[in-house]
Amino acid sequence: MQYLGNFSSSSPVIKKYKASATGYVQGIVMLRSAGNASGQMSTSTTTSFADALGLLADNGNNAGSSITYSTTQGDPEAVFGVIVNPDQILRALMVTGATGTSITSDTIVTAASNGLTAVGASSVASPDMDEGILWYLSGSNVGKSRKITSTSSVTATVIVPFGANAVGDTYCYAGVNIGLTGVTLTTDLLKVRTDIAVSTGASATCIDMELNGVSDSYVHLVLNDHVMKVAT
Amino acid sequence: MAEILVKQTWTKQDVLKAAEAGGKKRGRAAGGWIADIAAQKKVITLCPECTHKFNPAKVSYRREKEFPVCQATCDGCSTFDDKCSWYIYDELYTSIRSTSEERRALQRSRELRIKRGFL
Repeated sequence: MQYLGNFSSSSPVIKKYKASATGYVQGIVMLRSAGNASGQMSTSTTTSFADALGLLADNGNNAGSSITYSTTQGDPEAVFGVIVNPDQILRALMVTGATGTSITSDTIVTAASNGLTAVGASSVASPDMDEGILWYLSGSNVGKSRKITSTSSVTATVIVPFGANAVGDTYCYAGVNIGLTGVTLTTDLLKVRTDIAVSTGASATCIDMELNGVSDSYVHLVLNDHVMKVAT
Repeated sequence: MAEILVKQTWTKQDVLKAAEAGGKKRGRAAGGWIADIAAQKKVITLCPECTHKFNPAKVSYRREKEFPVCQATCDGCSTFDDKCSWYIYDELYTSIRSTSEERRALQRSRELRIKRGFL
């Protein structure tokens, strides 16, 4: 994930906190460490940003191995830089699958002249994409997006119509949308999965999306459960 | 003489602040300390008085320009300053930051791809 700025337009606040383990990678969200953990922060999980501290700005690996964290007496302490602003905006690549491959696109198999449905080959009802977003990659609607208002099997329905679609048009959909809270991350904790039902996972709210192709679309997020906020 | 003890209400923020790492150890030369953290490819924050002593290009670092200042403890003099410059290891820059130039290029690419008919 990338640090994109703050709601308040203020400067980033960077703090150096003690690590609790090896293998931290820049760009992941860090959490306040659990009780009896060795350091001050731990990594987030694929489904939790509970008590977040902020975005890890430091490199913790060099050629695949940790270069800092150690519990050996006399070794230097592992300290990492974290951007801790509670109102920070994060930018994450949207992907499909636990390991984070390009977004899986789908193809229209039944044309809809009224532009109200996208009928493809894959289910949009399980996992449920209702209230998510759908956008076209090709055809007469290329680049256009709409909010999905209902789903049934392989059919996604919108209220504000697209132009007529045609068999063979390709499109993408994602279980994220403006104002929805909950994202599921890839196992490397760096990207957001689009193939998970809406409002599932870590407590972050979507404030914007960059809907491009299958490998360069992004979602902008804010952390809902940041430890520096008054209520967590 | 009587002493009045006032109970402190420690918030999570207070605890974290109190536990913040102090940076350079006493007696350690700033240059050597910064060379060490640069070798580890860590983010370097330097206050206005220290920043001109650091040559980022020499150690493959990049100064953050979109957010020219940050609030941090200076890695050189260990003083908190709200006008620090921050430097990110060049190869790692895109992991945590994107520039407006990169986002502008992406937007231009999007427009071109839409014109060609495939996003």
